[in-house]
Amino acid sequence: MSYETIRVWGVLLRLYHWALVISISALAVTGLYINSPWTGTTLEGVAAMPMLAMRNWHFLAACLFSGAVLVRIYLLLFGNRYERLGDLLPVTGRNLRNLFSTLLYYLYLNPNKEERMGHNVLAGMTYLLTLLVALFQVASGFFLRYAESAFWQGLGGAIFGSQQQARFVHHLLMWYFLLFALIHIYLVVWNEVKAPEGIISSIFSGRKFKERQH
Amino acid sequence: MADSDKGNNLGLSLNRRGFIKGCTMVAAAMGLSEAMIPRMVEAAASAKRPPVIWLHFQECTGCTESLLRSSHPDIGRLILEIISLDYHETVMAAAGYQAEKSLHDTLDQYAGKFLCVVEGAIPTKDKGIYCQIGGRPAMEILAEVAPKAAAVIAIGSCASYGGVQAAAPNPTGAVGVRDLVSTTPIINIPGCPPNPVSFMGTVLHYLTFKRLPPTDKLGRPLFAYGRRNHDHCERRAHFDEGRYVEQFGDHGHRNGYCLYKVGCKGPGTFANCPTARFNDVDVWPVSVGHGCIGCTEPNFWDTMTPFYERLPGVKLPGSPVTNVDSAGKTVLGLAAAAVGVHAVVGAVKRIAQCKCSSNSSEEEV
Ligand code: SF4
Repeated sequence: MSYETIRVWGVLLRLYHWALVISISALAVTGLYINSPWTGTTLEGVAAMPMLAMRNWHFLAACLFSGAVLVRIYLLLFGNRYERLGDLLPVTGRNLRNLFSTLLYYLYLNPNKEERMGHNVLAGMTYLLTLLVALFQVASGFFLRYAESAFWQGLGGAIFGSQQQARFVHHLLMWYFLLFALIHIYLVVWNEVKAPEGIISSIFSGRKFKERQH
Repeated sequence: MADSDKGNNLGLSLNRRGFIKGCTMVAAAMGLSEAMIPRMVEAAASAKRPPVIWLHFQECTGCTESLLRSSHPDIGRLILEIISLDYHETVMAAAGYQAEKSLHDTLDQYAGKFLCVVEGAIPTKDKGIYCQIGGRPAMEILAEVAPKAAAVIAIGSCASYGGVQAAAPNPTGAVGVRDLVSTTPIINIPGCPPNPVSFMGTVLHYLTFKRLPPTDKLGRPLFAYGRRNHDHCERRAHFDEGRYVEQFGDHGHRNGYCLYKVGCKGPGTFANCPTARFNDVDVWPVSVGHGCIGCTEPNFWDTMTPFYERLPGVKLPGSPVTNVDSAGKTVLGLAAAAVGVHAVVGAVKRIAQCKCSSNSSEEEV
């Protein structure tokens, strides 16, 4: 059996992916510390400033995260055919069929993977939901960080109410990202084992394997 | 500052020295240059100062108490001296019909010119019958007085956002002034109670510049509510350094560490408590070892509780979930279990398949 490789993911999309990996890991760790600092310095005059440092790393990672989210939104509109909005949503007959065949495939009810180079539609919908959650996370984060700015006061106040309510939502949504990471990594490994397209290597190289038609 | 009036605390007259002192304190709290003080003094001493109608609704009178019984006699008397209180249910001498008459005289005579101060929330449920004065519901009185005023000052969290009365389930439908009045400029001085300096600053600003001071999106004057308590708290260095009170009474608490981990809401609360401070002993909750409870924020009774925890709780009856983190961990645990089951099913299927296919045809594998 011979294979050809197809270029699926552009450079920007791969950069976006790895920026998310790095920023979400950093944000979760520093965010958990900021919410409930598990260590500190009780010695006087040490000036180790752990909370200050954690907060600074959190804000730096937040900039990376926000930038990545913006890049993905750009790609939804102007990316290649596998990255665009139309390929992620069950808006065409082909996509709708793919949604059901993927569900059956994941539930072990259909042994054959439908050939499709981009995201399957189930994944596409999940990624869009994640992007939406990410927007709320970014808005609540900036509202908390720039609480004095009239712009964020207006927007954050309208969405979340007070600072404390935004803090609550911000913390709750963090758990969504951890849940997403768990399921995402599992399904990627699962797909890697089941099908020969090379899903893991594709996020490094941008290329997937496709069976050559004879 | 209390020294000038030792032994004379009950006298209501204010000497010039105390008068100027009071104005200076307020100017400092507002961040005005000292060159403004003479103008302020002049405006405050002017005979043409606007009359004030002070309405009391659903409240504990704590805001008035904290203003008038403030141990700064200068501030307390300044209030009585510079504003002509034509109607104030707590301190006015008139009663009954006399009081009502003075209210209506002011309304007629000074329409569009007087200041209306509202203290307390306004119940709206069942036509507002839960708070009535002289047989009239608070809603009706406010609807009569507020549109005729030059400006409305809502003093305290109740008049600003409904306060404790508006806490869930809000049995009387209590709301703040801004939910009912739209035609008159409104400024909110929230707090439970607010600092007298913030109220005085707003009044003096109005007398001096003939307009209300700039506000944030929640209608609070920026000079007093422009920054979070956390950002000018004296314990902030302990916060950055990771030195926290873990429990009331522990080593950290005795050493004045940051109260973040015992639920201080300073990081989400806009107020001037750490700088303006209260009473002549210059304290605020954090300075005496108790976290901020966020009383200047809308709905603080619902959103800032539990007062001794960082974040509000999440309760699902019959489950181990009590807060955000236990909710998150529970969901994550369930997802991990589901992933495990999915993987095992896949593996079993594969093994079964291999056995079958090796039995039938070896070619296919
Ligand atoms: S005591 Fe409260 S307001 Fe002060 S630094 Fe700590 S958390 Fe912030």
